[in-house]
Amino acid sequence: MDFDFAVITDHWRFLASGVGVTLALSIASGVTSIAAGLVVALARLYGPRWLRPMIVLYIDSMRAIPVLVVLVWTFFALPIVAGITLPPFWAALVGLTIHLAAYAAEIFRAGIESVRPGQTRASLALGMSRAQIARRIVLPQATVRMLPAFGSLLSITIKDTAIASVIAVPELMRQSETVQGQSFQPIEVYTFAMLVYFLILFPVTRGVDRIYRRLAHLGRS
Amino acid sequence: MNLDWSVVWLNRDALIAATGTTIMLTIATMAIAVPCGIVVAILRLYAWGPVRAAATFYVELFRNLPLILVVFWAFYVLPILTGLSLSPLATGLAALALNVTAYNAETFRAGINSIRRGQVEAAMALGMSRAQALRRVIVPQAVRRILPVLASTWVSLFKDTSLVSVIAVTELAYVAMQIRAQSFRVLEMLTAMAAIYWLLGYPQAKLVDWIQRRYAVTE
Repeated sequence: MDFDFAVITDHWRFLASGVGVTLALSIASGVTSIAAGLVVALARLYGPRWLRPMIVLYIDSMRAIPVLVVLVWTFFALPIVAGITLPPFWAALVGLTIHLAAYAAEIFRAGIESVRPGQTRASLALGMSRAQIARRIVLPQATVRMLPAFGSLLSITIKDTAIASVIAVPELMRQSETVQGQSFQPIEVYTFAMLVYFLILFPVTRGVDRIYRRLAHLGRS
Repeated sequence: MNLDWSVVWLNRDALIAATGTTIMLTIATMAIAVPCGIVVAILRLYAWGPVRAAATFYVELFRNLPLILVVFWAFYVLPILTGLSLSPLATGLAALALNVTAYNAETFRAGINSIRRGQVEAAMALGMSRAQALRRVIVPQAVRRILPVLASTWVSLFKDTSLVSVIAVTELAYVAMQIRAQSFRVLEMLTAMAAIYWLLGYPQAKLVDWIQRRYAVTE
């Protein structure tokens, strides 16, 4: 077996653009799913009663359907239903957000519910408004407790962007497939892709772990 | 928009067979990944230094790689490394097992580590051997903490089997997308695919919630 890693240096610009798209898609879908997840969690906890069964149905459905299916549906079926054709990157962003927001919402809910109700009652007794309680008492504690879960959600997000290759988003996975298809050197190309993904993901998981250990005492009550 | 849902009914045999493959893949992967996960966890905890380092490397590597990349890697690299020509199904199974074993190993390790050291020391002070302490004191308690995590890994695995469609394993996602490509009934087939996954996955997700409530450990 001979390995010739020149294929990587020959196509480095093409592969680097893939890394760029992977990072952009990861950050964008991370931000949108956390924002959407917060809205969903708040609607579930504090919204009107009739809305709750629908939110539970949405969250549990996303836990039951594969990301691949959501992405493919958003890219191929949504244009037929809604008449809007999204370019691959945007379709991936929408699909990943729909899927991951459900997970983010569950993390928010667990974090918020982990703050004992006695604290909310005490704050009410002190004359704070509901919004003040959320902002000053519940969320600061809940945020710290949610950190490890959000760390793993972020790493899931980065891994899930690789599935967007199926709908032709030019991210690292897709670019590697293309280079592999032209050069017929799958071992070199995919091993390189593995290395890059590992180098992105490992510091993320380790970094979040470390930050949490620094801050854990702030979440205790 | 004119829709023709009969395409789903006409292809029912293929879809049912593909659904069977999806379920079979899930079961087979778990059947491999649970014992292998236990072995890797034990190697990581108790083995000789270099073996422990290798086990840790394996777990960290596969937990930090996208599964779809592992599937492609297995498809192109395994035949070259092993010299065997594996069927797509066997390759997909190998990739899923490699991935889930790493997750399970971490689950088992965390479960074993969650039992306070004092309990092993107490067991040994009572004259039990290490193996006895493991079997009689640690394992029965660790199981209660491990089971809920294994249950959610199961549901993730069920969904992740869809990713082996990229190497033409004839499971649900692949077959549904094949029918879509042949019939041009895009919306109907993709919706049917999502519906089948939902029908199978939804009860599993609910069952996981039940297991998590049932085995919740309060200290």
